[in-house]
Amino acid sequence: MTTVTDTQPQHSAPTVTREAIDRRMKLFNAVCAGVLLAFALLWLVPIAWTVDTALKPNAETTNPTWAIKDPTFASFRTLFAQGDIWNWYASSFIISTVTAAATVLTASMAAFALSRMRFRFRWVVFWFILIGIMIPQQVLIVAQFKEIAALHLLNTYWAVILPQIPLAIAVFIFKQFFDGVPRDLDEAARVDGAGFFRTYWRVVMPLSRPVVAAVAIFTFVWSWNNLLWPLLVLTNPKLMTIPVGLATVQGTYGIRYADTMAGAILGALPLVILFLFFQRRIVEGIAGTGLKG
Amino acid sequence: MTTTTAEDLTTTRPPTQSTLAVRGEHQPGHARPAVLLMAPFLILYVLFIIGPSLYMFVMSFFDTSLVQSGLGPFAGFRNFGDALGNPAFWASMWHTIWFTILTTPPLVVLAFVFALLADRVRRGRWFYRLAFFLPYILPSAVVALIWIWLYTPELGLLGRVVTALGFPEPSWLGNPNLAMWSIAVTTLWWTLGFNFVLYLAGLQDIPRDLYEAASIDGAGPWQQIRRITIPMLARTTSLVVVLQVIASLKVFDQMYIMTSGGPNFSTRPVLEYVYDVGFTDFRVGYAAAVSTLFFILVLAVSAVWVVLTRRQEQGF
Amino acid sequence: MNGPISRRTLFRGALAGIGAAALGGCSSPVGAGLANTPLDPGTVEYWNLFGGGDGVRMQQMQDGYRKANPNTPLQAVTLAWGNPYYTKLSLATVGAKPPNVAVSHLTRMKTLQEADLLQELHPEDLARHGMSAEMFNKRAWDAGLVNGKIYAIPLDTHPFVLFYNTKICGQAGLLDGAGNLKPIKGPDAFLDALTRVQKVTGQYGATHGINADTATPWRLFQTMYSQLGGQVLADNGTKVVLDDAKAKQVLDYLRTLTVEKKLMPGSIDYQGAIALFASGASGFHLNGEWEISTFQTAKMPFSMTLVPNIFGGQYAVQADSHTLILPRRGDQTRAQLDLSLGFIKSLLDQSMTWAEGGHVPAWLPFAQSDAYKKLTPQSNYAAAADAAVYDQPGWYSGSGSNFEIVMGSAIGGVEAGQLTPEAAITQIRSQLTALAGTPSPV
Repeated sequence: MTTVTDTQPQHSAPTVTREAIDRRMKLFNAVCAGVLLAFALLWLVPIAWTVDTALKPNAETTNPTWAIKDPTFASFRTLFAQGDIWNWYASSFIISTVTAAATVLTASMAAFALSRMRFRFRWVVFWFILIGIMIPQQVLIVAQFKEIAALHLLNTYWAVILPQIPLAIAVFIFKQFFDGVPRDLDEAARVDGAGFFRTYWRVVMPLSRPVVAAVAIFTFVWSWNNLLWPLLVLTNPKLMTIPVGLATVQGTYGIRYADTMAGAILGALPLVILFLFFQRRIVEGIAGTGLKG
Repeated sequence: MTTTTAEDLTTTRPPTQSTLAVRGEHQPGHARPAVLLMAPFLILYVLFIIGPSLYMFVMSFFDTSLVQSGLGPFAGFRNFGDALGNPAFWASMWHTIWFTILTTPPLVVLAFVFALLADRVRRGRWFYRLAFFLPYILPSAVVALIWIWLYTPELGLLGRVVTALGFPEPSWLGNPNLAMWSIAVTTLWWTLGFNFVLYLAGLQDIPRDLYEAASIDGAGPWQQIRRITIPMLARTTSLVVVLQVIASLKVFDQMYIMTSGGPNFSTRPVLEYVYDVGFTDFRVGYAAAVSTLFFILVLAVSAVWVVLTRRQEQGF
Repeated sequence: MNGPISRRTLFRGALAGIGAAALGGCSSPVGAGLANTPLDPGTVEYWNLFGGGDGVRMQQMQDGYRKANPNTPLQAVTLAWGNPYYTKLSLATVGAKPPNVAVSHLTRMKTLQEADLLQELHPEDLARHGMSAEMFNKRAWDAGLVNGKIYAIPLDTHPFVLFYNTKICGQAGLLDGAGNLKPIKGPDAFLDALTRVQKVTGQYGATHGINADTATPWRLFQTMYSQLGGQVLADNGTKVVLDDAKAKQVLDYLRTLTVEKKLMPGSIDYQGAIALFASGASGFHLNGEWEISTFQTAKMPFSMTLVPNIFGGQYAVQADSHTLILPRRGDQTRAQLDLSLGFIKSLLDQSMTWAEGGHVPAWLPFAQSDAYKKLTPQSNYAAAADAAVYDQPGWYSGSGSNFEIVMGSAIGGVEAGQLTPEAAITQIRSQLTALAGTPSPV
């Protein structure tokens, strides 16, 4: 709602008060801007300090100043040389990409059926999936672990990917969106001889780009950041994802804060890039769906 | 409109019956393609969500071991009795709830205030969105590493600020009375951006003419906020609060990495208790019982929310 | 944002990347992650839990192995000490991708074995690499046997020891002509020694970690309690046989030293206890021998000896051993086994490096050598290995376990003046009974 209104002259108060209020408003807005700027800068301090530390040589990190006497990328080189970080990147990329793609595909297909097709027990299926929204995955770790162990999938990427795919909330987000897509279009496609799958893939999905992007980005980020579950099922350091590796493996000894901070930066970098690319989509996605990891 | 028989997913046979049936009316040709479309999701859903939920419930009645296959000997309600009679269980439950109490109000109120301020700023809104939202997309492990460094005794930035102001440096993560607060501050920094964005979107939905009208009536900024903004954001607030409470109850990562639940278990949340008894002590039957109890807590919170929002909506 | 095209390209790029990675890496981690292929055969993957000075020394030993075996890649991983380490090790073994060789405390290895997570080691395989039973400290070796079968190779014994500041103890008149601590025997003699040291330091007689440290109070208690002949657990942890009278005697004594006479600070953490000793605020320090590196680095005048025989029974001291184990795995080949055993032998051969870090070597060819006898103060307490008392077995027992947490919290509570000895015994008994009554999950 962005309606711009006129000043409604019949209610207009004496102009003097109006101006006074406007002045007060201006002052108030200026104060607001100042306070907000202060907090925003405060919020950026930890990140700035992280970057600052990572660019110092390890020995210089005990030095309390922001100034760096001898800036260096040595910590990043150390991490890349140690090798495991590449394996962690590979794990994280494969797991997050497959999870995001499979979640979008399976959830949107199911949502399409629920939104567009009239079959017996449709409401039963709908409620059956609704239950899933109420089940936090975290309480299932014990049972899922026993199951994945029985399937001999521990220490494979599939152990992380498979339980992450059936995300009930994604089905609802898709269904909500599909319900709002005009039916005349798929009706027309079906008159032209398209089957349900073609209608889904060629008509409805291309019209649903915003929601596809939102769900894909969110499942990607959520999967990338997931710690508890991959911590349990990926226990070999060569197979770990970035967060699990950073949280688990201790490196060499002595003062190595710069190395640790470089690791933190490398762990976050792909997501920061993703965020800078898709900032608006992500923010709109949150506002539109209330998705939370 | 035409009718169809046995519709196939891949064939492009002409449709022979309306696909736009009235809600609730079922059409015979839809069943098979519907099942095929839903199958991938439903199979994984049953296998990895519904199945484990039932399995967890069953397992909680057995002395199941992590390192042996099968359910193990039947235990009846003993696992539940053991958990309810165990101070360690109650302590971890309390830590989870205490964390939720510590984090929810500031995360809601500060996000609201920041969004309110940002809504009044004309220029550079992208910068504020970046500043507050960027931490939210960082992995918990990265956030924890950053804050461990900020909290490091002697060398950490925070301790230096405090000592520069002339106070003795507290042991941020080492003092059992302070550790949970330190973790709460970290969490505030990390997840505020999410609520901020929700509030910002809510604010943009408030019609501007309401403010115009109010200012014509002589209402100052405070009155506008009290009379217009806060009531208009009631729905957003209830969404933010419930998402926040549920997210806070599921806390694990920060404690696991920053304090391992210490010092002396003073920050161990219930999920870490499940992790400890299930995966360190191998007692997955008992861990399943604890999970079930925790699940009931989360469900209860959700139910309270449903009741509250119902009442709220009736009030409108 | 450039709209759908860039996104699609991105998506395709990602898919292509995955495909290439999967094709390119059949025996790589990616291959293992996607197709469950074995991880890097022909390398030795080794997990340990050593931080601080131990970590530095272990790295030297790993480098020693690499130099001697340039063709065998060694991948060493250090994980956080205590429960997190054993959790990871168990989960990795259950998950069929464990390391080839891992460190385990002797007191934790029994539970791993009962959980069927360890490979049995056959004497003929060990013999191929020049190892046999009689070449190890008997107490450590025997403690590692399960039903007469071998599951662990002991690397060391690490007893609880007494550090003393030679300068302060000299001023207090506690040293003999050669500058060594005169033998202290009996509760009164130890109390007297601490009192005399306190007069010199003006602050404390001795320190040890108490706050947020459950292991050290337990080690001190167990040392004295065992000198009285006491046991805490029996029948593989299913019975609590705590002797209330003996436990009370020890706790009363600890209370006297801390709360009543203030000879030891009752509220101090592990690091603080070290710092007080290093700064000369106390003349004695009770801890594991591994802290030797810390005090050597501090360049202070100190030496180490056995914890005195305070209660006069047969000499006993709390200890544990680091052992090397081979987690069970399905894909064990003879060649891989030989690589693993060769690595273990290489660590034993470098016992000198390890002993410098304070640990009493279990490898007799070194422990009985002149080189070790000349190594002081390390050889001062070598006898502790033969009087070592290990935590009694039980699924919840061992270094860093729930058992030590229960015991240590109650004992620390007495030393801090928060619990009376009677209340501590009641607390211990109720918590241990609960654990003992829980069916073993292994």
